[in-house]
Amino acid sequence: MAIVCFITVPIGTILFKLFLGPGESWQHIVKNLLLDYSLNSFWLILGCICLTLLFGVSSAWIVSRYNIPFRRPLEWMLILPLAIPSYITAYAYAGFFDYGGSLELLLRSVGSKPFRIDVMNILGLIFVLSISLFPYVYVSARAVFLYQSGRLIEASKMLGVKEFRTFLKIVLPISRPAIVGGLVLVVMEVLNDYGAAKYYGVSTFTTGIFRSWFSLEEPSTAIYLSAILLILVFVFIFIERYQRAGKDYTMTAKSDIKLPRITIAKRKQIPLFFLAFIPVFFGFILPIFQLIYWSFLTFENINYTTFFSTAIQSLAIALLTALVTVFFALLVLYFPKWNALKFLKKSSRITILGYAIPGAVIAIGVMIPTLQLDKWLVKMSNEMFGVKIGLVINGTIIVLLYAYMIRFLAVAFNPIESSHLKIPESLSESSRLLGKGYLKTFFKIDFPLLKSGLLSAFILVFVDAMKELPLTLILKPYDINTLAVKAYEYASDELVMEAALPSLCIVATGILPIILLNRLILK
Amino acid sequence: MSIILHIEKLFKSYNKKEGVVINGVDLAIEKGKIVCVVGESGSGKTTLTRLVAGLETQDHGVIKLNDKIVASDKVFIPPEDRKIGMVFQDYALFPHLTVYKNVAYGIADSQDKEVRVAEVLKLVGLEGYANRFPHQLSGGQQQRVALARALAPKPQLLILDEPFSNLDVALKLQLRNEIFDIIKRTNVTAIFVTHDTQDAVAISDEIVVLKKGKIIQQGSSEVLYKSPVDLYVASFFGTVFRLQDDDLEIFGLASETEKHYAVRLKDLQVNTNCTYSTEVFVEKSLFFGEYYLNTVKLSNDTVVNCMSIQKLEGKVTLGIEKNAVLAFGDISE
Repeated sequence: MAIVCFITVPIGTILFKLFLGPGESWQHIVKNLLLDYSLNSFWLILGCICLTLLFGVSSAWIVSRYNIPFRRPLEWMLILPLAIPSYITAYAYAGFFDYGGSLELLLRSVGSKPFRIDVMNILGLIFVLSISLFPYVYVSARAVFLYQSGRLIEASKMLGVKEFRTFLKIVLPISRPAIVGGLVLVVMEVLNDYGAAKYYGVSTFTTGIFRSWFSLEEPSTAIYLSAILLILVFVFIFIERYQRAGKDYTMTAKSDIKLPRITIAKRKQIPLFFLAFIPVFFGFILPIFQLIYWSFLTFENINYTTFFSTAIQSLAIALLTALVTVFFALLVLYFPKWNALKFLKKSSRITILGYAIPGAVIAIGVMIPTLQLDKWLVKMSNEMFGVKIGLVINGTIIVLLYAYMIRFLAVAFNPIESSHLKIPESLSESSRLLGKGYLKTFFKIDFPLLKSGLLSAFILVFVDAMKELPLTLILKPYDINTLAVKAYEYASDELVMEAALPSLCIVATGILPIILLNRLILK
Repeated sequence: MSIILHIEKLFKSYNKKEGVVINGVDLAIEKGKIVCVVGESGSGKTTLTRLVAGLETQDHGVIKLNDKIVASDKVFIPPEDRKIGMVFQDYALFPHLTVYKNVAYGIADSQDKEVRVAEVLKLVGLEGYANRFPHQLSGGQQQRVALARALAPKPQLLILDEPFSNLDVALKLQLRNEIFDIIKRTNVTAIFVTHDTQDAVAISDEIVVLKKGKIIQQGSSEVLYKSPVDLYVASFFGTVFRLQDDDLEIFGLASETEKHYAVRLKDLQVNTNCTYSTEVFVEKSLFFGEYYLNTVKLSNDTVVNCMSIQKLEGKVTLGIEKNAVLAFGDISE
């Protein structure tokens, strides 16, 4: 119970504070900005849904259905854009299309007349977010295409229906729940984004929260905005659940045949290859080249002492976060089981919501109660012991870890739970009958069998923590810096080229685990 | 009778490591017959039907449907244009479509879909289930929807790939008879793929036995019973006991060197006057209601099972009639 409270406190805080009334500038925001925030967020979500669907579904269908050149490398390269945080992709694109940017230089060098595309607007933001988030759709679509549609496509063909109609009438409908599941992740990430929207000058709910928090210094207004954002998120979760309801086609078994691949004429293979390659090029190769080019230009300007200390702090925080989060995920999984608390089994699901809630909202939700606790501690120590102390918890890494843990609990919980489900209940039961207690059973039986799940949980949280920006910006202690924050700071200070090196470090830590993630999904 | 399916010199291999899966199959199937393709797992029976359906492409060979070439070295007609109905092992019902829509899926737009769907649903005994979804049906009902869906477009050939493997024994026996009746009523030519030889014996007009990608025998149940080509075929109809060289000597059976011999369990007779006989020692005699199952030992210590009406003890005579001895040129277990 304590754990559930611990995790739901931030959400509760925001809902509770709603009743205390908004800050002074709330009227101003409602009058002048709210429509702007809403419209921008709406178009952003709509645009990203369309584009990620286009990139994700088409590339997934091409690589799973057709024999094309370089199919195998393409299959995993299509996931790579996830290794670059979207705000970094945003910086790279801004630099590529900027005055005197890489595009201009390239065009000049081949002697053609330079032209400019302005990406620093909502359309550019839609493109940048979509090109870096489409792998969520790609991954979920490909998994269904490969493993659930094979037999059904054969059955459809045996009934005399051609390829394209089969795709429309059978493949798309049965893949819909999975594809929408991927889309919901895209929407969550879009709502969570702060770095890219801020840099491109597009006001969204998340940038609004930051504005009221930092510039207007009005926490209560920030809370109101957070609440609206939270409601928006719940609406999307609800839509996803609703569309899934009853359509969770419980196929008796996964089809034992993989989707058969079609070999087509060479001249048709080339265009298909390029169709699938476009998202890889724009989502990964182009931004990476831009970053490498910038690093090459700026590597002399970097203060390496601070750079290395930031990198080490980043690594240490991510490692700690991963450890703490995996530990809590295990508790959420095992605690209800050990204590035979049936009602907790369901309530532990709530804890998983963390990933859906934007980082900025979690940050505020965590800050308010911990500040209260701090104030109370200060007062207590003053009254009871006569000792004057400063804030104990706030401004320390503990608050940051707490917030990370809430945000990434779902990321850790899912792989652990799925490998837990593969362990038959009878194993721990026999261990108990052989006279071993809960803990002994856990360490001797469950833990060794959970290892792969625990490892992937650890790695996934680690990577996410390395990339996290909005939550870190609000909660990080003054004397601590992460690579993500460093990159953001450089970019905000008009030093976007210097942002390249920390960005590349984040990408590097991200690539290997993403390949691992790909393996896990295909298992 | 006209030939509906004609296969000539068919070869297929998936990759070099596995070798050939279909190794020179020649086969002709008459219109209106129910043919069972049997064989152990890995014998190539599923591959054979997938080649006929057009779900795989052959390496060499010709497949003709109603005298029209559908697959050869030059021609390949895709599965959607072959007019073959297929009932898959896992049924492959479209999970997002109702029973009605599943069944109507393959019916050409020119036809009156409603009438045809009602017709086939009635045929399989599922009137009133049109609006259900596949997951709301039992295994047996799903099976029947799959059959209805395959029959709805009036295919020229129906393929059933291990249709009973997902069902429990009692349901399987019931459905086996029902499906046999339905197919006979529609007069469609059907190919059953099964590894269960009991199924094959029960429902087919003709049995095709595949082994390592080759057809080793083809014929009616009677033919296969009377003159099986090897021990595997012989054992379709019950336990068979292989007679080794020294066993033959004990029974006083003159053997040819290149041949192998066997006898069915039910043809081993106790204490009767037979062409070949020997004295055996009874080790065990277990009561099975209608008969006793005995474990007896020959003088060379070979253990044999035989049945008897009465409980046996001590020494008895075990005999085989001359026409009960099965002789094969080649034996592989």
